[in-house]
Amino acid sequence: MKKILNILAVLLVVLSFTACKPEFSEPIGEQTYTSGEADFSNYVAVGNSLTAGYTNGTLYKSGQANSFPSILANQMKLAGGGDFTQPYMEDDTNDVGGMTLGPVTILPQKLIIDASQGGVDRINQEPTMDVSDVHPGPYNNMGVPGAKLFHLVAHGYGNIANLATFQANPYYVRMASAPDKAVIEDAVAQNPTFFTLWIGNNDVLSYATSGGIGVDQNATNNIDPSTYGPNDITNVNVFGAVYQQLVDALTANGAKGVVATIPDVASVPFFTTIPYAPIPLDDQSQVDALNAAYAQYNGGLAQAVQAGLITQDEADIRTINFALGANALVMEDEYLTDLSASGLPSIRQATVDDLVPLRAMSVIGVADPNNPQLVNGLTVPLEDQWILSKDEITEVRAATAGFNQMINGIAASKGLPVADMAALMEGMKNGLVIEDGSTYTANYFNGTNLDKLLFGLDGVHPTPRGYAIIANKFIDVIEDAYGAKLPKVIPADYSTFDILPTNQ
Amino acid sequence: MKKLLIVLVFLSFGSIYAGGYRVALQGQRMLGMAHAGLSVFNNAETAFFNPAGIAFLDRKFNLSFGVSGIMSHIKFQNADYNWAYETDNPVGTPVYLYATYQATDNVSLGLAVYTPFGSSTVWHDWAGSDIVNDISMKVFYIQPSFAYKFSDMFSASASLILAYGGVSYNKNINRYLTGDNGEKTNAQLDSGMTSAAGFGLSMAFKPSDNLSFGLNYRSSVTLDAKYGKAEFNNVPAFLSNTLKTTGFSAKLPMPAELGVGISYKPMDNLLLAFDYNYTYWSIYKELRIDFKNGLPPSIANKSYQNTGTFRFGAEYQLNDNMFVRAGYYFDQSPVTEGHFSPETPSLDTNNYTFGFGYQMNKWTVDLSLLYLDGKERTDYTFVNGEGPSAHKFGGTYVGNAIIPGIGISYSIK
Repeated sequence: MKKILNILAVLLVVLSFTACKPEFSEPIGEQTYTSGEADFSNYVAVGNSLTAGYTNGTLYKSGQANSFPSILANQMKLAGGGDFTQPYMEDDTNDVGGMTLGPVTILPQKLIIDASQGGVDRINQEPTMDVSDVHPGPYNNMGVPGAKLFHLVAHGYGNIANLATFQANPYYVRMASAPDKAVIEDAVAQNPTFFTLWIGNNDVLSYATSGGIGVDQNATNNIDPSTYGPNDITNVNVFGAVYQQLVDALTANGAKGVVATIPDVASVPFFTTIPYAPIPLDDQSQVDALNAAYAQYNGGLAQAVQAGLITQDEADIRTINFALGANALVMEDEYLTDLSASGLPSIRQATVDDLVPLRAMSVIGVADPNNPQLVNGLTVPLEDQWILSKDEITEVRAATAGFNQMINGIAASKGLPVADMAALMEGMKNGLVIEDGSTYTANYFNGTNLDKLLFGLDGVHPTPRGYAIIANKFIDVIEDAYGAKLPKVIPADYSTFDILPTNQ
Repeated sequence: MKKLLIVLVFLSFGSIYAGGYRVALQGQRMLGMAHAGLSVFNNAETAFFNPAGIAFLDRKFNLSFGVSGIMSHIKFQNADYNWAYETDNPVGTPVYLYATYQATDNVSLGLAVYTPFGSSTVWHDWAGSDIVNDISMKVFYIQPSFAYKFSDMFSASASLILAYGGVSYNKNINRYLTGDNGEKTNAQLDSGMTSAAGFGLSMAFKPSDNLSFGLNYRSSVTLDAKYGKAEFNNVPAFLSNTLKTTGFSAKLPMPAELGVGISYKPMDNLLLAFDYNYTYWSIYKELRIDFKNGLPPSIANKSYQNTGTFRFGAEYQLNDNMFVRAGYYFDQSPVTEGHFSPETPSLDTNNYTFGFGYQMNKWTVDLSLLYLDGKERTDYTFVNGEGPSAHKFGGTYVGNAIIPGIGISYSIK
């Protein structure tokens, strides 16, 4: 009896130990994730707002915390990655971003949804970061919001004295190791073992978001970027030369890395949210009145054709006609033949080939308070800055294609893999199904699509959730090119933007 | 009786993750021999395993009661995302109480109170929180039986099943929504206790002293919780009018079970038993929660499949007082591919049982030990239906449990 009890007791003890924790046949362990041929011990990210973690119209602390390089660096830590520093933002105490210069707000705070108004608004809190509060880097995250390609090699881009002449960047002023150090110098000085380089978006984007009011420096063949205005398209040859310089500098010590392409501007919700024909007319008398208002202009076009000033095709394009239903916006178009000598403005109605920037939302359909007959986009043609016209889009696309050709060529010559962000964003337009089965789109917030959003309220920049998808894309490329293995992140675990009951 | 019910309600059940949420711990004597009791008619546990068999008990009055302690562990991992989590399940303590009474030469009455279904799974702060943070299901049956002995070799029984039970379930609303405090928004669902009825039919056939056959059927029972209460925690201010405390309804099906068994005594002191249980799990098609305040229903496709379980057990009598027992059974998971969900992480399991009994006059003490070894499984489930707003959640699961138990029986002539 005692013997049996003893056997049972031993059995029980043995079982309770062996049974305590089940084990996997292949448990996740130190061997699971590897850097392959790459070395993640000192990762430096070089780029613009997309690298900085800018979202919802500004750079704020919790947005920066979820920048794509920060997400990527976190995953790299499982495969030999080291600490990843980002520019100082502890003084963004209310997490609203923006920046002041003394008493003046020079960069606005973040965009939020005010549920009581059902719309987008800047959060009703003041920025707390001041441009003069310098915390010299360099930092692992060398993403500088607003930087164009050539800014990365510019000396004085971090000098506060140059702010007044727009030759400096308030973000870089705060983070530069010294006022006259170029961004790329601060990046290289860290002796990176691995880098990401995603730059050049602003070299077309600022032109596009401004509605094409800048200059296409490819048309002018101007290769001196110091003469460029803020909304110009960078000359493709300048782009190639500076890109080569950046890649040469980053790879000089043998570092491996990834470069990324420039997405098509029409892939971001900033350009795809407002339709070209947003104005519904349901009253025939209204339609008649509008057509009557343009009868003189249309008649003038017919005379101009007869006079041989324009072709019949151009007259057809320019003829303005309203009907019941959705109507296209009336817009200025500087690419039309100048008929001002005949007293005819350069206007036409928008077509599906034109893009309406999101910021035109505040203008379209707004009537002159002194004369309700004057309505923007109907009786008052929209100015150049409110439409990215077909011809402007052609310039933007030609430049984007040229930039991407340079990026791909230089990457190939250096044996660097390319993260094709252009293809990624193109895929989002029709709904991107990711590894976990979730579907995401490149749409703008409409009140019910929060689950599927990747872009924030500025319509240009991804949310942290979008940056998570971008980080996953970089991981794919790094794994393919270098034989590394890294875990991915779940985009849905990341935030989008604030929805507040009221903006008080 | 009322007092007993209250006691039962407050006992919890461990997640045993074999065979869905079936908890096969209905008698320590039989558990020692793989829970193969369909054709073993030797104490009050027969009131559960095969109520027809109570007609063959050689004592007029039999009583058994017992308790088990379920210590279960489940681990989950997915190297695609560096996920590694494990459950922190409380120790489950299912109980049972059986009584039989031979009223006449031919008529015997039985009463069984037991806990055939239940689960308790707790995941803390983990990747699948939008499916489950914790869930606890408690169901017990009260089954009075009437058995009639048609001959010295054959008896049959009919019984009524009264089921009581409920579920408490917590999960996050989705993967990203947080309250203004930064904590994830979650829903706490409490079905309350609800009841339903079913029936049982069984037959016992004992052609000789050393050979017995048994057949037992328990019908399905669906607990229809109509007055559940849903509360929401960490609700962001902009949703405070939407995510308000509300009622809900849900149906919780308990599958029917059919079993056949045979036992044989090759020697006077050796008993061998073999059972086959077939569980009609296909009744569990979906877990649907309908809210009373207009929130969209929560629907999880389950698509369970019917399962079969083979049980082999043996009992060896050492002397007048002592018995040793051992058994093995293989339990098949009812979860079909693509519906493996962490709220009921049911793996295929190999089960090893051991038992020891000590008998003294009218009293018997039975000790049992079940070691349940879950087979590793890599699978997934869809969250939010299977449409465009759905996503997949999955990885590799492995689990085990160790379950000691003690039972006491009392019999008089």
